[in-house]
Amino acid sequence: MRAIVGYGNTLRGEDGFGVEVIQRLQETTLADTKLIEAFQLTPELCLELLDVDEVFFVDAGFSSSYHYEFLCSLKDEQIATLSHHISPKLIMNMLKEIYKKDMNYLIFSMATNKFDTIYDQKRYKQKVETMVQYLKELSL
Amino acid sequence: MLETNKKKIVIDPVTRIEGHAKITIDLNEAGTVDDARIHVTQYRGFEKMCEGRPYTEMPALTARTCGICPVSHVISSTKACDNLMAVRPPKAARNLRRIINLAQIIQSHALNFYHLSSPDFVYGFDASKEDRNIFKLMQTHPDMAKDGIALRAFGQKIIETLGGKRIHPTWVVPGGVSHEISNEQKQTILSQIPQAMDIAQKTLKYFLNNVSKFKKEIDSFGNFPSLFMGLVNKKGNLEHYDGFLRFVDSDGNILENGIDPTFYKDYIGEAVEKDSFLKSPYYKPYGYEKGMYRVGPLARLNVANRCGTPLADKEFDNFRNLNNGKPVLNSFYYHYARLIEIIYGIERIEELLNEEKTMSDNIRSYASINRNRGVGCSEAPRGTLFHDYEVTNDGIITGVNLIIATGNNNLAMNAGVKQVAQSFITGTDALTDGNLNRVEAVIRCFDPCLSCSTHALGIVSSQVEVRDHNKKVIDRISRG
Repeated sequence: MRAIVGYGNTLRGEDGFGVEVIQRLQETTLADTKLIEAFQLTPELCLELLDVDEVFFVDAGFSSSYHYEFLCSLKDEQIATLSHHISPKLIMNMLKEIYKKDMNYLIFSMATNKFDTIYDQKRYKQKVETMVQYLKELSL
Repeated sequence: MLETNKKKIVIDPVTRIEGHAKITIDLNEAGTVDDARIHVTQYRGFEKMCEGRPYTEMPALTARTCGICPVSHVISSTKACDNLMAVRPPKAARNLRRIINLAQIIQSHALNFYHLSSPDFVYGFDASKEDRNIFKLMQTHPDMAKDGIALRAFGQKIIETLGGKRIHPTWVVPGGVSHEISNEQKQTILSQIPQAMDIAQKTLKYFLNNVSKFKKEIDSFGNFPSLFMGLVNKKGNLEHYDGFLRFVDSDGNILENGIDPTFYKDYIGEAVEKDSFLKSPYYKPYGYEKGMYRVGPLARLNVANRCGTPLADKEFDNFRNLNNGKPVLNSFYYHYARLIEIIYGIERIEELLNEEKTMSDNIRSYASINRNRGVGCSEAPRGTLFHDYEVTNDGIITGVNLIIATGNNNLAMNAGVKQVAQSFITGTDALTDGNLNRVEAVIRCFDPCLSCSTHALGIVSSQVEVRDHNKKVIDRISRG
């Protein structure tokens, strides 16, 4: 089974990209796929990933130069503590170290420099749809 | 890790607290600590931005104050709205609110103990950066890390089951809750209680077996006389949802009892410091700063006669024996009190679920505005939380005052930081990573939620500044 985890805050704007993608995917049926939306990544997410074999993380990532570009792998550093912000990498490390669960994961990020608003509604919606289609194809 | 040369100290990893703060340590001419203070450096202004909104929006709006303890804000906010409407929610709604509030306290306490503080307990305060963090804990103590996740998930799942989502649930509404609990939901929660209790007891045992290693820290981490404040029920026992305010002094004398929280302003003053956005509440009759008081788990156990549940009461006796029945003054024991409260929370949730009235479908009282001022008060994980609203006859908010749990502890946290700095930093040679970690660890005892208490918005940032006798910064430790 695969899990797709979309996280962010839709009240902020483009920060909620991952959640919007999940909400669109929930309108379709993806075989053998668990859809998870969250404000932020938290340690308990590990428990929901114990029964999957692969994880895709979908979020918005900061870039001052490539607004609305897709980036498959942003620099993924765990720069904060286990308080307000946990990175996908830390979640995967927790799964590996604590639960002995090692699996592939990918991060799909839409680059933005406008987390707190939707800068261009049309382009933003297009990007949501493009990501939805891409994930659907990957899940076939 | 600490890298130090004559002018610069760098500590990494980042501070394990909720939110962002700066600490200044002032040295005198002899190079010893003269003063030390915690500054909260960001501002959001929730009290102001809520003005002009309908009161019915307040629970959802103020819940956004924080992603860690939104349930606490929802509870106090809806209680303030109940007060505006002059209604008392039905028994089922009050019980369900109590359950979600306790679930919030359990998950928050678990976060502090396992994820933020346990590296200090496991590896010691002088351990190197490579060892004193959650990553190392995952490698060397995977079962402890697993327990932390499971216990936090227990609380989070209850919140999600009742509230619909783990963060910012909107199920608690003015007058009650929006839907009743099903028997299936009840059984699901009850089935998880044995595992949660097993973990809580195991963790308590671990703490008690290891606490003797930290005598120096126990003696100097915010160990001083102060007042204590918290809610108690009609019997004077531990209370988190309703009840009356009680103040006790460090000898255990009850200064105030049975205070309706609506009249909190008669007893609590709020000072504004020029170097922090965190307000400094104090006990009014004693004045600022003599009226310093502590809130939160340690204070709650100090003001209460008993917990009121069997297993928690058994440990409560041991807790109170630490100071021969008088209030426990060592802030290090906030950790101990937190573990006792987890046990209490689990027991109490089980009791409340098994009450017949909890399953009633009479879950909401309806009314419109009947008062122009409403106060809601409850115990959040970190202490007593007040929401105070003023509205027009149409229910439009015209004034808001929030006293956040962490804010109540501001004066005590400052006193604690100063005490630790003076105890451990006895000259520039003592500016070791371990000692600076201790300065921050005393703050972790209080488990402050700075984003809540200042409503802070900003980039993760925690700094320790060391200043000479001319207030010139001679060292700066940046984290995050």
